[in-house]
Amino acid sequence: MWKTIVRRVLIMIPQLFVLSLLIFIMAKQLPGDPFTGLLTPDTDPNRIEELRELAGLNDPWYVQYVNWIVNAAQGDLGKSYTYKIKVSTLIGERALNTFWLSLVSVIILYLIAIPLGVLAGRYQDTFLDKIVVFYSFVTYAIPTFVLALIFLFIFGYQLHWFPTVGSVDIKYDTGTAGYIWSKLYHMLLPAFTTAVLGTTAVVQYLRSEIIDAKSLDYVRTARSKGIPVNKVYSRHIFRNSLLPIAAFLGFTITGLLAGSIFIETIFGYPGMGQLFISSLVSRDYSVITALVMLFGFLALLGSLLSDIIMSIVDPRIRIE
Amino acid sequence: MSKKLWGLLALLLAFMLVLAACNGDEKETSSTDEGTKTEDTTKSEGNEEGTEEEAEEPAAEDSDALFPLSVENEGDAISGGTLKVAMSKDEPFQGIFSYVLYEDAYDAEILAYASNSLFETDGDFLLTDEGIASMEVDQDNNKVLVKIREGVKWSDGEPLKVEDLIQPYLIIGHKDYTGVRYDVDFQNIIGAVEYHDGKADTISGLKKLDETTLEISFNKLSPAIFSGGDGIWTYAEPSHIVKDIPVAELVESDAVRKNPVTLGAFIIDKIVPGESVQLVANENYWKGKPKLDGVLIKVVPTSSISVALQQGEYDVAISFNASKMEEVKDFDNIDILGRQELYYSYLGFKLGKYDYDNSVVVTDVEGSKMGDVKLRQAMGYALDVEQVAEVFYNNLRERANSLIPPVFASFYDDSLEGYTYDPDKAAALLDEAGFKDVDGDGIREDKEGKPFEIKFATMSGDDIAEDITQFYMQNWKDVGLNVTLTTGRTIEFNSFYDKVQADDPEIDIFMAAWGTGTNPSPAGLYSKTAEYNFSRYSSDFLEETLTNIDSPKAFDADYRAEQFRAWQEYMAEQAPIIPTMYRYELVPVNKRVKNWNIDYANPTELQDIELVSDTAVKSTK
Repeated sequence: MWKTIVRRVLIMIPQLFVLSLLIFIMAKQLPGDPFTGLLTPDTDPNRIEELRELAGLNDPWYVQYVNWIVNAAQGDLGKSYTYKIKVSTLIGERALNTFWLSLVSVIILYLIAIPLGVLAGRYQDTFLDKIVVFYSFVTYAIPTFVLALIFLFIFGYQLHWFPTVGSVDIKYDTGTAGYIWSKLYHMLLPAFTTAVLGTTAVVQYLRSEIIDAKSLDYVRTARSKGIPVNKVYSRHIFRNSLLPIAAFLGFTITGLLAGSIFIETIFGYPGMGQLFISSLVSRDYSVITALVMLFGFLALLGSLLSDIIMSIVDPRIRIE
Repeated sequence: MSKKLWGLLALLLAFMLVLAACNGDEKETSSTDEGTKTEDTTKSEGNEEGTEEEAEEPAAEDSDALFPLSVENEGDAISGGTLKVAMSKDEPFQGIFSYVLYEDAYDAEILAYASNSLFETDGDFLLTDEGIASMEVDQDNNKVLVKIREGVKWSDGEPLKVEDLIQPYLIIGHKDYTGVRYDVDFQNIIGAVEYHDGKADTISGLKKLDETTLEISFNKLSPAIFSGGDGIWTYAEPSHIVKDIPVAELVESDAVRKNPVTLGAFIIDKIVPGESVQLVANENYWKGKPKLDGVLIKVVPTSSISVALQQGEYDVAISFNASKMEEVKDFDNIDILGRQELYYSYLGFKLGKYDYDNSVVVTDVEGSKMGDVKLRQAMGYALDVEQVAEVFYNNLRERANSLIPPVFASFYDDSLEGYTYDPDKAAALLDEAGFKDVDGDGIREDKEGKPFEIKFATMSGDDIAEDITQFYMQNWKDVGLNVTLTTGRTIEFNSFYDKVQADDPEIDIFMAAWGTGTNPSPAGLYSKTAEYNFSRYSSDFLEETLTNIDSPKAFDADYRAEQFRAWQEYMAEQAPIIPTMYRYELVPVNKRVKNWNIDYANPTELQDIELVSDTAVKSTK
């Protein structure tokens, strides 16, 4: 198994290399550049041309690419053209926000989805089951921004249960208990929204797995041995039914950093999704390439993690 | 079953309604608003026109204006209090709190509360003597004396010195400076280029005459100096803080990012990057300590700004999107102030090319498809701009008649008729010019009777942008012109300007907009050497008038105004660029705020703002 993991990690290097080449060329193909947006009657076009020259944007793409990759190999991803700070600092700030928000959402998601899935499966075709199925379809069908706005208006502006914008209240100093609580408090509503929107897959997988499992031999064996129904569900069926969910757990973990443009925009929560979109719009090359590389790496890592997790959870699967 | 189905349908319908309502918001947020960005080099406060709709206590002078410019709310002022400002915006702010370095207008709006501005301006954005500094122009010797008031202190208590006036020049001129402000204007200061090239340790044109006077020598002076142009820098930098920070590191330093030292009414106290800024009253403010304890500025997403205002969460909203007017107009807890922006949108005709090797416009009127002036005029008359302003923008825009926004009262020519909607006149002009429908299909052919197609480039944006594009194309079709979109669809902002700047042969006409900034001189957009002269139109008369506007003779205000008028009339007549719309900027103010004024000429003094209650006022509607 270890051999396989090492091999997979080694394969990532050429994969990422090809990705970097592709994204670099494609980013440069986009019309405009980071300085296009500076166009005003007050700005001097000659100065803009000078800045382009200084930034090396007039060099052939392969020269720029080599410069970039040499610096990147030394851990220097360059400066954001828009925010004028180091890309690593910028992504660091946003990634931290997004990571915590996603983690809280995933926790809430499983807290909601697992009980619902289990109950729906166990009490199949009852009224309860129908409600769960209905809930799944509604949350699956409703667009993210609609639900986010509804929740924000009700729980934020009407009931005042949660803060309405931002990731933290400005009155707390970094690192204090109040600061940490404020961060968590600001995360709850966006996290809950994300969670509610994402439950469908887990609920449906779990429900159908449980329904299938109910008629399988090992369940009947267990029942005929006289094991109580509750115990059959909690010990036998539940564990087996979690397999498909474990299958994409790896992606769930690495997906924590992806962020959601809708949630971040509506809740005014600075995160990765928004950063990615705005860097594309403003042609912030250094940020675009860094983010695509990061997302690419995470996708590869996610699939590896999923395989590893599967081999741990399901002894029948072996990584060879 | 059918009951369930109905329930489901009802629910779906409800969601769709919400969806439709929200959809508009979403789209607007992503639009770059016709791709204009304004960057004021002087102060960005105030206006001239103003008045009632539902007259509160309007500072009414001009009955044409749609909104009041100021509001006074009843009640006794509480002592202190924090003014809560919502900055309506869907992305984090950049947070570059330095006048020499910032690029984004939002940073400038935050900075305005802490301001390092040396001068105040009047209604025409001309520098006055009321501010920290006053200016004396020695036209004959191309010199300017800047004198600072005694007793002005930085927010950290350090007195303001002449060195603080010199410091920004040393930063902008430095070879490591990577901002846009080292430009042609800046190089007009004697010695700036030598300093930039490393041939001198300092800028020879800057001389400290005594403890309060700075003398600046220029290569040449024009009336633009009074608008803060020609290279003069109208802000101070705290030299005792920034002189030891290498210029290349300044933009990432704490002196810019975390605790900038400033001269204004409030001091930046705390920043959550990209989200909010807490400012506290500046004890050392030269006009006296502000009555408020502080100001809290928060970024509020455009999707929820209306609800936030309804709930009284904020006292003032800045960069408020005028298209939200419909949502907030019934709220009884706010007053909506409005002023015209320094902005115009326009229709441009390609009449030549830019020779990038020699930096000069090569006009070829004869050889251009749009070369016939009557054709251009007809295309202007054919557009029903009035209806677009009314239907699509709820009258928050209005038809423009001139390339100078009316805000510049002394330079604006209100007698210009402009291109009011008149399809009959358009048709008559086209007939006269020889564009006739030869084959009877309702579409005009060119003068030789060959098929005539006009390629139109316009920017993509929100849904409205698409609708308006279709509307205008229909307008042209109504007078028999076959106008088709360049690339077959509306074009994304970056791509649009790439094509327009490169004089793409696929573009015959284009629509865009300019934020004009506070210096009204049109040379940067319409002269023979201007890269931004996108229509590539130039003529001897035009060059002469533009030169006159900024000539030494134009130090005489009447002469300058006269030349401005001549220029506006000439442009209207030749129509290489036809202005289409002016735009209003709205500022909702909660009833809790005692006084607020957005008149460009006479804005609220920040130290005088007061609140009349501890808690915000909610809307009952």
